[in-house]
Amino acid sequence: MLRGAEIFLQCLRAEDVDLVFGYPGGAIMPLYDALEGSGIRHVLTRHEQGAVFAAEGHARATGKVGVAIATSGPGATNLVTGIADAKMDSVPLVCITGQVRSALIGTDAFQETDVFGLTLSLTKWSRLVRSIDEIPSVIAEAFYWAREGRPGPVVIDIPTDFLKAKMEFAGPVKFTPKPRPSDSSAEAAFGDKLIALLQNAQRPVALIGAGAKLSGAIPQLRSLLDELNIPAFATVHGLGAVEPEAPYYLGMVGMHGTRAANMALHENDLLLVFGARLDDRVTGDPSRFAPHSKIVHFEIDPAQLDRVRSCELPVIGDLAKTIPAFHKKVRSAKLPDWSGWRAVACGDDRAELDPRGLSQPTIRFLDELFGRLTQNSVVIADVGQHQMWAAQRYRSASPRGFITSGGLGSMGFALPAAVGVQLSKPDATVLCVSGDGGFQMNIQELATVRRLNLPIKLVIIDNKYLGMVRQWQQLFYQRNYAETDLSDNPDFVEIAKAYRINAVRLNEDVMREYPVTTDTADALERFLRSPEPELLVFDCAPEANVYPMVPAGAALSEMLFEEE
Amino acid sequence: MHAFHIHYRNTQGTLMRILTAVSRRGIEMPFVQASASGHGHRASLLLDVNTKQIGQLCRDWYAIVDVMDVSVGVPTPEMLDSAAGLAGAHPPASAGAGHNSASAAMA
Repeated sequence: MLRGAEIFLQCLRAEDVDLVFGYPGGAIMPLYDALEGSGIRHVLTRHEQGAVFAAEGHARATGKVGVAIATSGPGATNLVTGIADAKMDSVPLVCITGQVRSALIGTDAFQETDVFGLTLSLTKWSRLVRSIDEIPSVIAEAFYWAREGRPGPVVIDIPTDFLKAKMEFAGPVKFTPKPRPSDSSAEAAFGDKLIALLQNAQRPVALIGAGAKLSGAIPQLRSLLDELNIPAFATVHGLGAVEPEAPYYLGMVGMHGTRAANMALHENDLLLVFGARLDDRVTGDPSRFAPHSKIVHFEIDPAQLDRVRSCELPVIGDLAKTIPAFHKKVRSAKLPDWSGWRAVACGDDRAELDPRGLSQPTIRFLDELFGRLTQNSVVIADVGQHQMWAAQRYRSASPRGFITSGGLGSMGFALPAAVGVQLSKPDATVLCVSGDGGFQMNIQELATVRRLNLPIKLVIIDNKYLGMVRQWQQLFYQRNYAETDLSDNPDFVEIAKAYRINAVRLNEDVMREYPVTTDTADALERFLRSPEPELLVFDCAPEANVYPMVPAGAALSEMLFEEE
Repeated sequence: MHAFHIHYRNTQGTLMRILTAVSRRGIEMPFVQASASGHGHRASLLLDVNTKQIGQLCRDWYAIVDVMDVSVGVPTPEMLDSAAGLAGAHPPASAGAGHNSASAAMA
């Protein structure tokens, strides 16, 4: 006879779980009581939101399922932002929440919350466990749906009495889904139609999104793009999918994308979309998005089709299968010469995001940092101006090398996510870039960093504002900086020291010298190569802006640039 | 008005996921009926939606784990009658009660 908690943990091990993040509390205590000797390492964060973001970091860095554990009531509600974040960014995540005793459910018991109901619209799948017997099958099904198709979050809510109860345990089970009509009837036929579209195209382009990475199809995609040799660009989650040195690669697209990428996306007549959902940050004004385009949408999740613009040809299925099938057709097809279009789209006059912007000290600072990173590095960006600067300047061919909360845009994501990344990749240089606003949203996780002695390199781009909101206030609200002033920030260096973490401050003036002085270069090297956690606070001009920028409601071709 | 029929396995939360796909878009649901049907369950909804919303809703429903099939059709007279019956005052007032009956009852 085993306790429900022991059965639960054995089933987690059977799903290849060896690392979980969580925060204990009343209803989940039986699970914690059984942790020792389970073969599962538990990382205690200092807030449940820290746990779920750390689990996301682990999942995003490795492709494995992240697991976060919390107690009932407030513990569970504190997971909600992370669950929504994982849904938006297709992150495989299993959240386990304790629930009050089964007999008390529905009585408004102490720390009771309907977490099942609360998370229905945020999860791919969820279960409130109704008996100890269900534990093995529920866990098997939860992990199946977290991984299957478009990955995403699931929730298992388990009453505390089932964790304490005992039963005979025959071992973990496997889940096999019941069949239903196929989604992929287009798969067999798309090749000929797509070749015909290509043969008639004069200005084809390729847009790369997260789906290309999630499918594990990066080598196949790169090989296909090398053969097509058409202008290509990436969403923020597609960064790293294409080698940045590829002659046809134009960088990031969208609201803060490069001029070259946005112009090519606006001007093309055939848009090949690989695993991107075309959200509003990528399209700008939907009615003026890619006005001359026919769209071919490679996508695993049919629900992502036609959300903003209808596509001429949906290609539903795993990109790891559909891309090679397409490539095979390409090899045997006679395609037009697109060199003239490529010369225009990739030409020198469009190649740089904004020559004036390059003198901006923060951009130079990020260039100096990123330029010192090895291939075995992961950059985690929080949300705001620094996120977009980092995305613009990130140059790596590592598909899982740039991690950020792109869909939900959750401030406070980066620090706890970096914990998950560093634990998953102990030998990697993990560089966490935050703003002064977002850093304070999960600043308590400095304690987790210190406790585990994780050598994360923490950067705060400190402009003493909620910078991105302030930028919008400057540009679109007549400089009415309503409630975005953070000039009374605490001294982050002193805070880090209180957590026993080394910290230094760098003023942006040191980036006005080119090349940087030996002292500055040495300081950056020491920071990145230290075996300890380190914090670097970079004092940034309060009114520095991110350019180019496509204003909300504008077309991609209507970018704003740095003022003269 | 369009009638939607969603065939699903009646597992925990599946019907609620079907309904929240509608409610998250702020679309009224003048008629909803769910019942056992064959080997599963069937939810029928009457919705006033445009062509784009039809496509989005059908794909969102089909993405729900235990939804097996989705179809769109012409509303039945029963659906339309039911929807018309709900077009009156909401919430319904008690027979003979005055305008302030709810607040009077709570006083």
